[in-house]
Amino acid sequence: MNALQQAQDMLTEWVEAWTEPEENRLDAQVTPANLLSAVKALDDHAWGYLVAITGLDAGVEAGTLEVLYHFCAGPAVLTLRVTIPREQAAVPSICTLIPYAGVFERELAEMFGIEVYGTPDPSRLFLPDDWPEGVYPLRKDTELD
Amino acid sequence: MRSILKDERWSKALEQIKLWARQNSPWAIHFNSGSCNGCDIEILATLTPYYDVERFGIKLQGSPRHADILICTGPVTRQARDRLLRIYEQMPDPKFVIAVGSCAISGGAFDGCYNVVGHIDEVIPVDVYVPGCPPRPEAIIDGVVKLLGKMQGEAES
Repeated sequence: MNALQQAQDMLTEWVEAWTEPEENRLDAQVTPANLLSAVKALDDHAWGYLVAITGLDAGVEAGTLEVLYHFCAGPAVLTLRVTIPREQAAVPSICTLIPYAGVFERELAEMFGIEVYGTPDPSRLFLPDDWPEGVYPLRKDTELD
Repeated sequence: MRSILKDERWSKALEQIKLWARQNSPWAIHFNSGSCNGCDIEILATLTPYYDVERFGIKLQGSPRHADILICTGPVTRQARDRLLRIYEQMPDPKFVIAVGSCAISGGAFDGCYNVVGHIDEVIPVDVYVPGCPPRPEAIIDGVVKLLGKMQGEAES
């Protein structure tokens, strides 16, 4: 059976909507509350591995940010998409399930200003030492001089 | 002794000896202030026996305190700015800077990025610019040789 079909069967309970952007890819819309359960389901079945956590800013008008958790199994890529409001940008940490997610979460926090609650080390990862607090370079409304 | 040093002929001869020594042993240090590594690979290729830069006396030094020439690659990132200045200040006078690659000259593809200060001569004075993305080892050698020629010209003027 196809790896993505397996993932779809595992996650039906937690996913609100499915989309297939291209061959071998599957996007799953997940609420922040269901994120940990969805990741746990993948982890319990040892489905693939987490390759990256990325952020997406659709712009100020949209009023939302997206956090994307990419899992790979062979050629298949499953992306869990979590949409959060700009004003209260926060997602739970998945480090209890996948410890190495910490580095991705630190990058997400410093680049997009998304609070990742429960992450073991919330310090900065890539930004320069003298980078000002509260300036998030990958947000669309950040003015750079 | 003091009277000899004051003698103009003596100090002129000393200057010529210094220039001769400087031109025949340009020791270099290589610093990457935010490059993509393309130029660094070309610099390493330049130092291989195939190009044999030791025929010009060019040698890569491990410490900036022993170097005459700072070979810089890449744009200057916000994090690397202080390190670049520190290395430049550690070098003994007279010191020379060669900016290698498009990014070192203009910021290149990284210009305007949130963590980039700019090109190298916004931070330290540059003597020779070697364009290219990345420049070939021949171009880098040519840059060093041009710098040696520039030293001669400055000494004569």
